[in-house]
Amino acid sequence: MSNTMVHLLQQATASTFEELAFLFLETECTEEQAEAPLDAIVTVNFHGPARGRLTLSASSALLPAIAANMLGEEQSRFVPLQRDALGEMANVVCGNLLPLAAGAEAVFRLDAPQWMTDADAVTRTGDASVASVIFGVEDGRVAAQLYVFEGHDALVGTVSEGAAA
Amino acid sequence: MAFNVLVVDDSAVMRAMIVRTLKMSGVPIASIHEAANGEEGLHKLNDEWIDLLLLDVNMPVMNGQEMLQRIRDDERTRDLAVIIVSTEGSETRLAALQALGAAIVHKPFPPETLRDTILRVTGVTDVEYYGSFAATGDSLDF
Repeated sequence: MSNTMVHLLQQATASTFEELAFLFLETECTEEQAEAPLDAIVTVNFHGPARGRLTLSASSALLPAIAANMLGEEQSRFVPLQRDALGEMANVVCGNLLPLAAGAEAVFRLDAPQWMTDADAVTRTGDASVASVIFGVEDGRVAAQLYVFEGHDALVGTVSEGAAA
Repeated sequence: MAFNVLVVDDSAVMRAMIVRTLKMSGVPIASIHEAANGEEGLHKLNDEWIDLLLLDVNMPVMNGQEMLQRIRDDERTRDLAVIIVSTEGSETRLAALQALGAAIVHKPFPPETLRDTILRVTGVTDVEYYGSFAATGDSLDF
């Protein structure tokens, strides 16, 4: 796994949670956080000089807080909006990560975020990630993983330091 | 003058955040319309008088760049004030959007940035700012 890509993914994820949802991520998880399930999962597929997928997972207990911080208390009660909020987080993480990794000239197309069930996640994340980060936040966890299926050369740090699970 | 605004974004959450920011901004708003992609947005433009368009780039069905091109190709809408609100980081694509006369606000954005960009593209100067919104650095970053 590339240290460079891990650093970029860490930076994009932490800044998105901080700026969009006012949640400050910690790189070290407490025991309680480490036991929290990563049971809310969204993915964003991207196409362009490289093709791949950004997966963002969170403890479902965090979703109301994420939605409330983005939308206000009233609207945050609706589960579909909670899911959409996590999807938008994934979209912004991916959108901010790709220019950092591929340079400002590269043009990517991002698909709409997709909510995944656990079963889907096991199947679709059988591929090896090029970078994976995990954070503790409040009483839960957040994880982000980057998968690159084509065009490793276009993304800094995915070739020179090796691309492994 | 109060503005009729159209917000085009495939994320219901992002549309809600933009609408919330608009309502807090002090910019005079007559009506706010929403659409989930460029095609829906063009239909809204046909049906409603719109003064200001807030537009995402990456959307299904029709993306923001194509919608903007169609707006500029149509003499009824070619002068419409447009602000791109997107995570788009490609300088190549941003230059193309700016060449089509759009202002750019990058996600995530502080509300002040969106408000100031709206004021700039619309030329509004007599806005009563919303409470502490403009007075402190304790801003809400969207």
